[in-house]
Amino acid sequence: MRRELRFWSLVALLAGVAAALVLGSLGGAQAEESLPPVITGLVIDSQDQPVESVLVTLSTADSEAVLSETETQADGRFALPVPEIIPAGLLIHFDRPHFAETELALSPEAVEALQTGESIVLPDTVLPRQTSAAFWIATAIFVIMLVLIATGVLHNTLAALLGASLVFLVSYLGSPLSENLYIFGFERALSYVDWNVIFLIMGMMIVIAVIERTGIFQWLAFAAYRLSRGRLWLLLPILMVVTGVASAFLDNVTTMLLMTPITIQIALAIGVNPLALLLPEVLASNVVGISTLIGTPTNILIGSYAGISFNDFLINQTPGVVAALTGLVFYSWFIYRRDLKTSGGGGMSSVLLEKLEERAQITEPAHLRKAAWIGLGMLVLFVIGEQLHLLPAVTAIIGATALLVWIRPDIEEMIEAVDWTTLVFFISLFIVVGAIQEVGLISLIADMIGGLVGENLVAAMLVVTWFSAILSMVVANIPFTAAMLPVVGYLTATIPGAESLVLFYCLSVGSAMGGNGSLIGASANMVTAGISERSGHPISYVYFFKKGFPALLITVALAMVWLLIRFLVL
Amino acid sequence: MGGIVCAVRGGPDSQPTIDRAIELAQETELTLHFLYVVNLDFLSFTASTRVHTISKEMRQMGEFILLAAQAKAASQGVEAGGVVRKGNVGEEIVALCHELEAGYVVLGQPRLQHDESVFTQQLLDEFVEEAERLTGAKVVLAGGGVQ
Repeated sequence: MRRELRFWSLVALLAGVAAALVLGSLGGAQAEESLPPVITGLVIDSQDQPVESVLVTLSTADSEAVLSETETQADGRFALPVPEIIPAGLLIHFDRPHFAETELALSPEAVEALQTGESIVLPDTVLPRQTSAAFWIATAIFVIMLVLIATGVLHNTLAALLGASLVFLVSYLGSPLSENLYIFGFERALSYVDWNVIFLIMGMMIVIAVIERTGIFQWLAFAAYRLSRGRLWLLLPILMVVTGVASAFLDNVTTMLLMTPITIQIALAIGVNPLALLLPEVLASNVVGISTLIGTPTNILIGSYAGISFNDFLINQTPGVVAALTGLVFYSWFIYRRDLKTSGGGGMSSVLLEKLEERAQITEPAHLRKAAWIGLGMLVLFVIGEQLHLLPAVTAIIGATALLVWIRPDIEEMIEAVDWTTLVFFISLFIVVGAIQEVGLISLIADMIGGLVGENLVAAMLVVTWFSAILSMVVANIPFTAAMLPVVGYLTATIPGAESLVLFYCLSVGSAMGGNGSLIGASANMVTAGISERSGHPISYVYFFKKGFPALLITVALAMVWLLIRFLVL
Repeated sequence: MGGIVCAVRGGPDSQPTIDRAIELAQETELTLHFLYVVNLDFLSFTASTRVHTISKEMRQMGEFILLAAQAKAASQGVEAGGVVRKGNVGEEIVALCHELEAGYVVLGQPRLQHDESVFTQQLLDEFVEEAERLTGAKVVLAGGGVQ
């Protein structure tokens, strides 16, 4: 009896499923039957990239009345509904600011198909770029912003904010006078802001604010001295590794802000020229920072744009970074060989040593322990995040919140520790870079580089790396990288073999290590020079260039060799 | 005459200033006070929000620089004090002179005309005049002599 009941239950279940499937398929058929015919297609630019937000309208050849309209999606595709009564002689019109207006007449066969209720697919439509006044204005605003940042006439944030405001001012006040002055609207501008970057930086700022107060940097620097037992040839690479590893997980500016004063004190205590330790430290900071996603703002930008994970950076960059750091250590030994020979630990004053030891204490051990656990947890989430579809920004925010809840610091102090000006800088920068992308400057640069390298991946790798490195010496590397992302994206899409994202790694190497070529090439350089100068050991522009530029050549070349091996040989 | 104030930054260029101050202390038998002024203006374009963090580090670095100067003075039989202040160099020199009722101020000669954190020759001349007027102390320039 029970077996019979089970059997009939199973039958009923199967019947139910079958009925549902049949009804579903009927419903689908009915839905399909009721769907009106549509005209679908793809709109691309001259670089075969999809064009978003193109207004696609359907009209008749003898009237301007619009029969239907739609906009292209992010992938450049559109589906244009057609009216119930379809007249002969249909025109499709494509319109978007900064592109030439394009019109397409439907063939009589296509119209006939629509009249019989069939949907049609148009061949891909290529919209040519149009250089208008807006192009030159947006370009000028971008260049002015870069000059203001490079010369220090305005604070970085103010320069970027000014740039964004000018873009809006021209778009909103200029476009009523001439539509050629329209760059983009506010909503479109916001679509260029990468919130993943903003939240990742914000989360990491909170974590750093807790860690920097624990005294860990001072302890590490003094531990380096102890480990080297005053042997300068050993102290130098240990300090470089400590600074480099710290820079791989924290931002370079914070690392150098905390490492510079204690390094100067160690140098004074043992009677060595502080610059012989400081220069190699800051050079190492700029080199090693790129081995992780969170090590430099440029990596955060690149990772978010290209979808390169924490693990990807670690695997693909670290061997090159180790090679570059090794080269840098040898180079530093060579250029400071006289300083490193002239004195050593034997010259350490007992009074100064006592003071150094007193300073090199962990000031908040409980906070440091908690921060270490949270940091470890974040590291695990960064590593496995890709499998969980967990964005790095989410990990950073979760980690920062967990740290705040566990440590319960003064929340006002923590809010103050977040560098809001930097966040505003990034938002404004995204808008200005979005403006030059919108008007076609980025496409133009991409076309030029594309024309230069053709389909040769090695040539593209060399051009992207060295172009980025040299320009990063004089142009602030964050806006430069932000502007280069779509260019590299285009090259990645068009050059065979570049789909491995190798060109983004080249950009990472060039933009970060290029900062070593000049004093203004990286904020960490400026901070180090500022503190050093306050201790009576100024670092002039010429001095930095003489020491830093050869370091740039060595480190970029070594990292480049690794990328060539990694992506072309292995 | 309450003492000698010697403003130092550290580094090789400060050594003649420190030496002159020690020499003056030996000559006059007045108490020597080394002064280091923390100035964080250089952060304004790079890390303006990190002032709180770096301020403590710079103060400690200043104390360390003064400790080295004090050790040098002690090795020559001169007991010297050390004061670290934060702010404008000129204002802090004047303020300390008032507090200590200093009889002498020892300053270094300008090294670079475009070095923002030290006096240029013109600014130094103006400052010497102003400091002597405001504090009543004699200003001694290392390598120069009593003004």
